[in-house]
Amino acid sequence: MMTFDQNAFLIIFTASLIAISCGLLGVFMMLRKMSMTGDAISHAVLPGIVIGFFISGSQRGLEVIIGAGILGIFATLVIDWLRQKARVQLDASIGITFTLLFAIGIILINLLAYKVDLDQECVLYGEIAYLPIDLWISDSGFNYGPRITYLAVLNVALVGGFITLLFKELTLTSFDENFSTVMGLPSKTVNLALMSMVSYTTVSSFEAVGAILVVALLVVPPSTAFLWTKKLMPLIKLTCGLGIFIALSGYYLAYLVDSSIAGMMVAVSGVLFLASVLIKGKRPKFTFELPRSKNGLSLEDKQL
Amino acid sequence: MRKILFLILLSIGLLSCKREDKTQRQKPLVVATTSILADGIRNMLGDKADVRALMPAGVDPHLYKASVRDLDLLQEADMVVYHGLFLEGKMTEIFEKLAYSQNLINAAENLPEELLLRSGPEAHSVDPHIWFDLKIWSIALSNTSKALAAWKPEWKQEIEQNTAQYLNELKTLDQEIQFKVDQLKSSNQALITAHDAFAYFGKSYQLEVKGLQGLSTLSEPGLRDLTGLIQFIVDRNIHAVFAEQTISPKAIEAVVAGCANQNHQIVMAGPLFTDSLDAPDTPAGTYIGMVRSNLQTIYKNLNP
Repeated sequence: MMTFDQNAFLIIFTASLIAISCGLLGVFMMLRKMSMTGDAISHAVLPGIVIGFFISGSQRGLEVIIGAGILGIFATLVIDWLRQKARVQLDASIGITFTLLFAIGIILINLLAYKVDLDQECVLYGEIAYLPIDLWISDSGFNYGPRITYLAVLNVALVGGFITLLFKELTLTSFDENFSTVMGLPSKTVNLALMSMVSYTTVSSFEAVGAILVVALLVVPPSTAFLWTKKLMPLIKLTCGLGIFIALSGYYLAYLVDSSIAGMMVAVSGVLFLASVLIKGKRPKFTFELPRSKNGLSLEDKQL
Repeated sequence: MRKILFLILLSIGLLSCKREDKTQRQKPLVVATTSILADGIRNMLGDKADVRALMPAGVDPHLYKASVRDLDLLQEADMVVYHGLFLEGKMTEIFEKLAYSQNLINAAENLPEELLLRSGPEAHSVDPHIWFDLKIWSIALSNTSKALAAWKPEWKQEIEQNTAQYLNELKTLDQEIQFKVDQLKSSNQALITAHDAFAYFGKSYQLEVKGLQGLSTLSEPGLRDLTGLIQFIVDRNIHAVFAEQTISPKAIEAVVAGCANQNHQIVMAGPLFTDSLDAPDTPAGTYIGMVRSNLQTIYKNLNP
């Protein structure tokens, strides 16, 4: 007998929402060659967790999550600052920033919280399998349903609104920062806004589904979609579609073999990417197609 | 756009199903989070209920990742027992909310304050490894047994009988531990382990206990800790240091090598079982077996 499974629906629905939020931002991060920022944030939040722990006095306060979020934004600021001021490569500035912050976190734990079980794994990262029983219960005892799903809806609405509002600015600054500055666009502000959005989305999603899935959803669906299309709007749509497909098939494969849901979703997205590479049969064109644009997209492709 | 959204929702809804294979249970299902807790409950309930552990033997509770069927197990359970004291990390919050829809027992609730070891700011964080002090663990089990009897009043007599018998065994074991530890103390020995899990053991049986690593898996032994510890071992003429089942023995190996450099030969013994039982049907597959196996390992190596 096949019956409707409420848990499956909630997990797939929420994972799809998170995949869309991450994918939307991931496209622009990929165009800016900053895909690995999500991974950097996952490590850089550690000092924020330790400080939040000392403010709230326990491993589970809201302060811990807020501390993590602030450190996420701080990390993206430092990455950008290093890139501009120190003129290091972008990937190097990402590497410098998150290793430094992570190390500060470890030193803080060793100095201050040696006897406390404190790390991202047990304090911040959520487990997607338990999403249906992680309820939002009001003070009066009313059960509103799964808390994470609300957070995911809010997140996707904010990310969607942000990208719709700043679509033109985001596109132009992603393609050619100097050109857009010349055109009078506040590229620094746009950059900052995008980074804050990425930081908010990643920390909020870490709490929902854990780190590896968020990092994968930021990077892999946009890269896979990029193998199939070089036009921006189709790229965004395909990324969202892939995200939903990954959520759906990942869940059922995990159910089939009774394993970790997040792990299976990441595996599915990896396989999809590899399959796309094989089908497209040639090296993904990233830099050498058109010298004018750093991403192999031509200016005409942008739908302004 | 709205149509697409609706279609996506509909398809996820239609695809959210599972095969209904409700095998009628003969006995009520009781789910405990750790294998150690499950073993205690199995002893108290006898063959009245089907008792299962959520985290299988050999899994570090801090690193446990849920699979899809773990969620089914939790929701199908007639009674869920969790350890508490933040042993289950972020899942602790979820268990507290599970009380909304499930019969739930927190085993470590209502333990006498003066017995718990606290640390962190305002002593907010409790060391969760209470099963190493058989006196505290007996209180926790006895509280759990009362809650179980309140849940199934018709089993009350049998539960009380089983519990009394089991607690009696624990008491004998407790005296045995004290007897052997006293002998170790007379030869000036101390228990040195990979991470700081034996604090209750040391406090209860007045044995000096040192952990190379803090409670968080991220904390690492500092250089000064290492040299200090090696000096301590040489000065006190300690015979052995102990590896743990769920922790990499690298750091402990470094201690052994450091002592060898000072011409003090020590043994790396173990592994001791800390956060989980051994596989079922092995000598350390039950709680009593595990404690006895740890005791023998410690006694044999420190008292040559």
